[in-house]
Amino acid sequence: MKSSVKLTPTRWDALVAAVILLLALVCGGGYWVHTLSAGDVLTAVVSVDGRATDRVSLNALSGTETRSYSNNGYTVSVAFSAGAVRVVESDCPNQDCVHTGAVSGAGRSIVCLPARISIQLTGSAVSGGPDVIIG
Amino acid sequence: MKRVFFCLAILALTVSLSGCGAGSNPTSGGGDQNATAEIFAMDTVMKLTACGEGGEEAVIAATSAIQKLDRALDRTDPNSEVSAINAEAGTAVAVSNQVLSLVRAALEYGSATGGAFDITVAPVMDAWGFTSEEKQVPSQETLHQLLPLVDSGLLSAGGGTVTLAEGQAMDLGGIAKGYASDCAEEALRQAGVADGVIWLGGNVYVQGSSPDGDPWQIGIQDPLGDDSFALLQLTDAYAITSGGYQRYFEQDGKTYHHIIDPATGYPADSGLISVTVVADANGPDRSPDGYCLPGSGTMCDAFSTALFVMGEALAIDFWRNGGYAFDMVLVTDDGRVLVTGGLAGNFQGNEALDYTYEVIR
Repeated sequence: MKSSVKLTPTRWDALVAAVILLLALVCGGGYWVHTLSAGDVLTAVVSVDGRATDRVSLNALSGTETRSYSNNGYTVSVAFSAGAVRVVESDCPNQDCVHTGAVSGAGRSIVCLPARISIQLTGSAVSGGPDVIIG
Repeated sequence: MKRVFFCLAILALTVSLSGCGAGSNPTSGGGDQNATAEIFAMDTVMKLTACGEGGEEAVIAATSAIQKLDRALDRTDPNSEVSAINAEAGTAVAVSNQVLSLVRAALEYGSATGGAFDITVAPVMDAWGFTSEEKQVPSQETLHQLLPLVDSGLLSAGGGTVTLAEGQAMDLGGIAKGYASDCAEEALRQAGVADGVIWLGGNVYVQGSSPDGDPWQIGIQDPLGDDSFALLQLTDAYAITSGGYQRYFEQDGKTYHHIIDPATGYPADSGLISVTVVADANGPDRSPDGYCLPGSGTMCDAFSTALFVMGEALAIDFWRNGGYAFDMVLVTDDGRVLVTGGLAGNFQGNEALDYTYEVIR
């Protein structure tokens, strides 16, 4: 039978443990800072085929900014303004994304299924808001 | 060297868990290290988030289960099981146990609701063009010819086969997403995940608690506006909404939505404009041969559609006497929001909107 190796702590173990503790604190602290800032800024995240491809901070906008996204043979024009986002034009057949109108508030989203493009609002200056919205 | 690898593995876990701590809201952007996937399936976009240990495994398993289900149930895909059933209407078609169990669940809910939910409404849906890019109001003559085919009583499901009557077709879209959420719950439970959110468009399944340790806050969209008309505080529960305000088309100045009343062949006009059905989680619920069983998610999906068709009085009667455990939130076209008693303590109306709120006992 193979005998087990006796493990005796060394200075190297202490060093590795210290490095891990330091990195964990840095990671945790960074995350804490990140969530604070993410919670304060209303951001429109545009995803194409499930991958986030664009982020627009809505709080910083003073006017309306329109951007176009193309995928799967369709083009969707999205108007971003302070606190709200809407699809102003789409060449998709069902126009559900246009019908959704302007959305505001974290958790709201607009989806263009034929183009496989979604726009989701994340973060919120308002506490106590919904985690998700259905309907 | 082995010690270093071991320590790095612990570090990776630490970082992963730190991403699921307080403040990591899966849909408000804070939880970058939550296991999250966004997928397009079942004609909608879905966002699956699982937090903590087993989260990645759960999201991968749930995504795989939903995509597999989509391939089996999509009647616009000629290779799906449902397409095979429809193509061979009039003869018995062998199907998987999973599809068979879902069809049987659909028949049960159709029967329980007096036909207000009926998966054989597919030919009428096609006449309206709701499954294609060219929507239109069908002629009364067309509907007159098709309505006799809308009858789940003509459908049989058992012994490993499903048989439609000649000319019939089925569409499981009215319960597919609800069933998908059942399967997602099963994936979360199999992976041992405590907290998560499965958001499938108008449907949601929430497990455990939100990152701040409280129940999940579910907003229900105002059918007449942009805001949420209500907040539900839920844990380990399904909430599924049906309404005609997002999928519709206009012809000759009139709006036609996609929820068809199986009795008339026309979009339901019951006086309800939004119906949300809420029920408790299933808990572990897997068949002996390994697939997730239809449960509360499937039921909520079927009932939200059925109650939208039935209207206020029949819906309330069904809630009281139908023999199923669920709660509901109804919005009427005259500005009333009706909440059943089981939800009253977890419900918060939006007082900024012009609704009146009533509790039904």
